[in-house]
Amino acid sequence: MSRPSARALFVWTIVWFNLVFLALPTVVVIIASFTAGNIVAFPPDGLSLRWYASLFETDSYTDAFLRSLYVAVICTVISLPVGTLAAIAMARYRLRLAGPIQVYLLLPFTIPLIVSGLGMMLVFGEIRILGQLWPVGFAACAINLPFMIWAVAASVNNLDTDLENAAANCGAPPLVTFVTVTLPAVMPGVITGGLLMFILAFNEFIVSLMLVDARIVTLPVLVYNSIRSVITPDLAAIAVVYIVVALVTIWVLDRLVGLEVFLKSK
Amino acid sequence: MVRLDGVTKRFGTVTAAEDVSFALHQGEFLTILGPSGSGKTTVLRMIAGFMQPTAGTILLGGRPVSELPPHRRSIGMVFQRLALFPHMTAAGNIAYPLKMRGFPRAEIPKRVERFLALVQLHGLGDRRINELSGGQQQRVAIARALSFEPDLLLLDEPLASLDRKLREDMQLEFRRIQQELGVATINVTHDQREALVMSDRVIVMDGGRVQQAAAPQDAYRQPANRFVAGFIGVTNFLACTVLEAHDGEAEVEIGDHRCAGRSAAGGEAVGRTADAALRAEQVLIGEAGQAIAHADMLVPATVTEVIFEGDRVVYAVDAPTLGGASLRIFDHDPLHHKTRRIGETVTIGWKRRDLMVFPRDA
Repeated sequence: MSRPSARALFVWTIVWFNLVFLALPTVVVIIASFTAGNIVAFPPDGLSLRWYASLFETDSYTDAFLRSLYVAVICTVISLPVGTLAAIAMARYRLRLAGPIQVYLLLPFTIPLIVSGLGMMLVFGEIRILGQLWPVGFAACAINLPFMIWAVAASVNNLDTDLENAAANCGAPPLVTFVTVTLPAVMPGVITGGLLMFILAFNEFIVSLMLVDARIVTLPVLVYNSIRSVITPDLAAIAVVYIVVALVTIWVLDRLVGLEVFLKSK
Repeated sequence: MVRLDGVTKRFGTVTAAEDVSFALHQGEFLTILGPSGSGKTTVLRMIAGFMQPTAGTILLGGRPVSELPPHRRSIGMVFQRLALFPHMTAAGNIAYPLKMRGFPRAEIPKRVERFLALVQLHGLGDRRINELSGGQQQRVAIARALSFEPDLLLLDEPLASLDRKLREDMQLEFRRIQQELGVATINVTHDQREALVMSDRVIVMDGGRVQQAAAPQDAYRQPANRFVAGFIGVTNFLACTVLEAHDGEAEVEIGDHRCAGRSAAGGEAVGRTADAALRAEQVLIGEAGQAIAHADMLVPATVTEVIFEGDRVVYAVDAPTLGGASLRIFDHDPLHHKTRRIGETVTIGWKRRDLMVFPRDA
């Protein structure tokens, strides 16, 4: 076998491996969601939109969807200023406790979600905010904040260290410098991080599971509860909703930042 | 315009700049020349206001500025890595200082156009920074630093990253713009050629201290000490013993030879070890055993290296009677001079006044 074809074989093996294990399950779920039958099956038992209709007609689904959205918005709104300022401070200034702070910020990320979830459940219970929805968004923010910080820090590290000095030299006072130079210059990282936080909070399952009760289930928890009984095709339809939300996020990212920038900054 | 009086900067136990004093006049172009770590950038950053001196005062336009934050000083600066604002266009960058310094709105676009033209970037104002070439980015940085007509322009080695051809073009460009606007300028560089080409005056720094402040020709012709002699130009140093020293002249012994040279040393140097300095282009080469026209000193030598560089030939020769020293010699007229071969025995010589003697510190 000649060398080029050996390489082609290698490349195509990887391509097919990717397609089969990454794309295929998604495609199967999408197709299955259009079934006309009463059980999830592939190939689908006829084609219809009945399960999508049932999604919109079932209050528990739409409510759970809106709750997840609410959680995601809370998480994003908190993490935008917190993550941005933390990242700029850590990447830009020599902090005395930079090392410990970094480890501290990574903690929620390295500890199993089930453990942080349990801890938050206890703390939230103690301060009597368990059973409300906003603490779920807060928890998602605390756990995923490293992603936000990384995204912004990648942008900050690309900046010239003299950028703020240059602004001062142009006559801009410190606060004006931050608003007109530092912040716009790291905006690609802020947008990337913000969208990442949104999607992570929207999808968050384990921590949600431990912090919500029956009155305020989020969409992933509802799906989890449902699959423990009968797996009906409306779950496939929900899966498609998730795929659509993910695609919309990527589309927004591409429009605002450009995917090349995002992929390079990682 | 600008005056530094005994400015010192310490970081913990490290002294980055010590007792630096100089004054700069309207329209003057001053270069601070020194190797990295010499304190030249520290001095520049203190003038810009990014650092506070540990001791001493900096005066701008006659007023001490220690209390004045950088954004209140009328100083334009071109940074080493340019520090252009990546989210703005070229015109946006140039307009930024105008907006920040409260220029009338109506005047800003006209000014931006004028400075784009000054740095020869007509019609490129709408480009984003990453769409411009390295040389064009340089020009935007210059225009940004000058658009508000600062009292003082600071250049922090902005040309260091350019390739040689572009760097030499930009040196002349800087000089042209600086003279056109008549703005007092302090340039910081480790490139001695750049310092000689661009400046009215050169300050040579090493180890945080000013070694010499002089016009480029004077720094070259009459270096104040061994460091300056070695840093500007290519210089051979020969260990010698001082026999006599007075009235700007010194008699020294180098190996088996007695020779005379220029020296600022006085009688206290007699008997001490010193460095005799000879610039590579001031050493002449002649036939073995024969005299060389215009040369006062003649020494036998053997050629050990010959490098043809087009506009000059670089030789290395061994001179056993000069204490076994090896010398570097430039022949700047290779087309009219015989090119020597490796191993050839020659006579080297120099004029009496081309030898400079620097006593070593006790």
